[in-house]
Amino acid sequence: MLSAQGLSVSAIGKTFRSGGQTVQALDDISLSLPAGKVGVLLGPSGCGKSTLLRMVAGLEKPSEGAITLNGRAVNQPGRDRGMVFQDYTSFPWLSVRSNVAYGLEINGDRDALNEGTVDHFIRAVGLEKFADAYPHQLSGGMRQRVAIARTLANYPELVLMDEPFGALDPETRWQMQDLLLNVVRKEQNTVLVVTHDIEEALYLGDVVFFLSRHPGRLKETIHTDFKALLPRNDREAFLQSEDYRRLEIHIRRLMRDEGRDAA
Amino acid sequence: MTAKLSDKATQQAMIPATPTGKQRQKRSDYWFDFNQSIPAGQRLVLGAAGWAAFLLLWQVTSQMDLAPDRLYPGPAAVFSSLQELFLEKGFFSDVVSSVTRIVISFAIAIVIALPIGLLMGSFARVDSLLNPLLGAWRYLPAPAFIPLLLMWLGTGDTQKITLLLMGVVFFLVIMLADVTRQTPRVLIETAKTLGGGRRIILWTVLFRHSLPGYVDTCRQMLAVSWTYLVIAEIVAATDGIGAMMMRAKRFVHVDDIMAGIVTIGVLGLLFDVLFRLIYRKCFPYLGRAQS
Repeated sequence: MLSAQGLSVSAIGKTFRSGGQTVQALDDISLSLPAGKVGVLLGPSGCGKSTLLRMVAGLEKPSEGAITLNGRAVNQPGRDRGMVFQDYTSFPWLSVRSNVAYGLEINGDRDALNEGTVDHFIRAVGLEKFADAYPHQLSGGMRQRVAIARTLANYPELVLMDEPFGALDPETRWQMQDLLLNVVRKEQNTVLVVTHDIEEALYLGDVVFFLSRHPGRLKETIHTDFKALLPRNDREAFLQSEDYRRLEIHIRRLMRDEGRDAA
Repeated sequence: MTAKLSDKATQQAMIPATPTGKQRQKRSDYWFDFNQSIPAGQRLVLGAAGWAAFLLLWQVTSQMDLAPDRLYPGPAAVFSSLQELFLEKGFFSDVVSSVTRIVISFAIAIVIALPIGLLMGSFARVDSLLNPLLGAWRYLPAPAFIPLLLMWLGTGDTQKITLLLMGVVFFLVIMLADVTRQTPRVLIETAKTLGGGRRIILWTVLFRHSLPGYVDTCRQMLAVSWTYLVIAEIVAATDGIGAMMMRAKRFVHVDDIMAGIVTIGVLGLLFDVLFRLIYRKCFPYLGRAQS
């Protein structure tokens, strides 16, 4: 609320009606993510982190509270908030290049198309050899790279990602995490990622929002400033650092407590 | 030819000359396993074998004196009368008028059904408004309207095309709506978060995603159209394949009637192949390797 730039979520609540009963999915969540930072929504399954992300995207409406992006109220989906989904959502009838160009095409953004934006982002995710391939010819990791390039090529002010690498094998997931960090650092994107993977949350996030469940509440906000002192793109140094280990154990305990409540 | 030889070679390689119990098991696995994909050459041979068996059965039974030749002619007699029909009796113009009726009525059906089906499949409120109405009309047999259509539209082509249209259009609307409804929600949401408005998403996602399904549905409904054609042309028609068959019945020319049936079958098959070709040419991205 203090800075107009970036994402601001204030006092968000969400209730569902199911079978005559009212279920409180999210309760009084307030957080802010400054422009140019990577934020992570972390929590056990059922904590409503995906619901929160979808509300930021405008795909669902909050029951209470308000969301603003760079000072503007969010109440429907828009070009300013691009989203990468867990399923590798490429348009199967479009080539990789046309998939990446899709957002600019439907917005009639001739300038960006003429400036070579599409090729720039295809190169950024390392798919230049596959620009003319169709999605069904690509692996899951490559298809997710298409989705990332398509989202970034549209120049959103905020990039939303819903467990983007959850269905990938570990090796590919690590590669994708580095690739994502490299691209968004270069483009200075503001990013909000949902994950339930602690390592991924700490590796990607400048700030990690830990949500509890039933109902989903913001339990703790964790800053990962310690990474500034570490060499970039060095996963081993990251995993071996004192701070990482301390935070990992801390979050693991938070997760375990949540599990105990549910059992 | 070489393909066939190599098929035989692999076949022999896989089947030893002296089958023991265990190996006999393997042989039956070779012929009948679940989810098998077989070489294109073998598929053609098997398809031709089915036809050959049918024609042979027809030929043999027609020579067995089960019925007089006049009432149950063999395949050879039917093919020679088919030839005669085309070369001497001007059957070609009958075929042209039948095909014209099919094409015109089906084109009108698509023009009506596509926008309605697209909107029904896209918007729940349009669906709730029209589905109970159109869904019920599907169950009214089109031929039951023939007396009405004769009174309203006379005996000309308009009446016949309307009958064909009525037989197909309600099914087509409901089926095209079903195809549209299968568009994955996440593709629609992706387009929304890229800034797509309703109109853009309707065309670039829902319509575009459904297009292969539309073509396939049309292919299947066209077959239904052919069944209504004969009914349409039996009633008060002077030309067309069905009219020819009714004329032939009056003079007990069973071979001509059968020739008409064969013609309809071949035409139906041709249209089917045409639609399959369109499908394969237009949607190369539907690779079989959907892994």
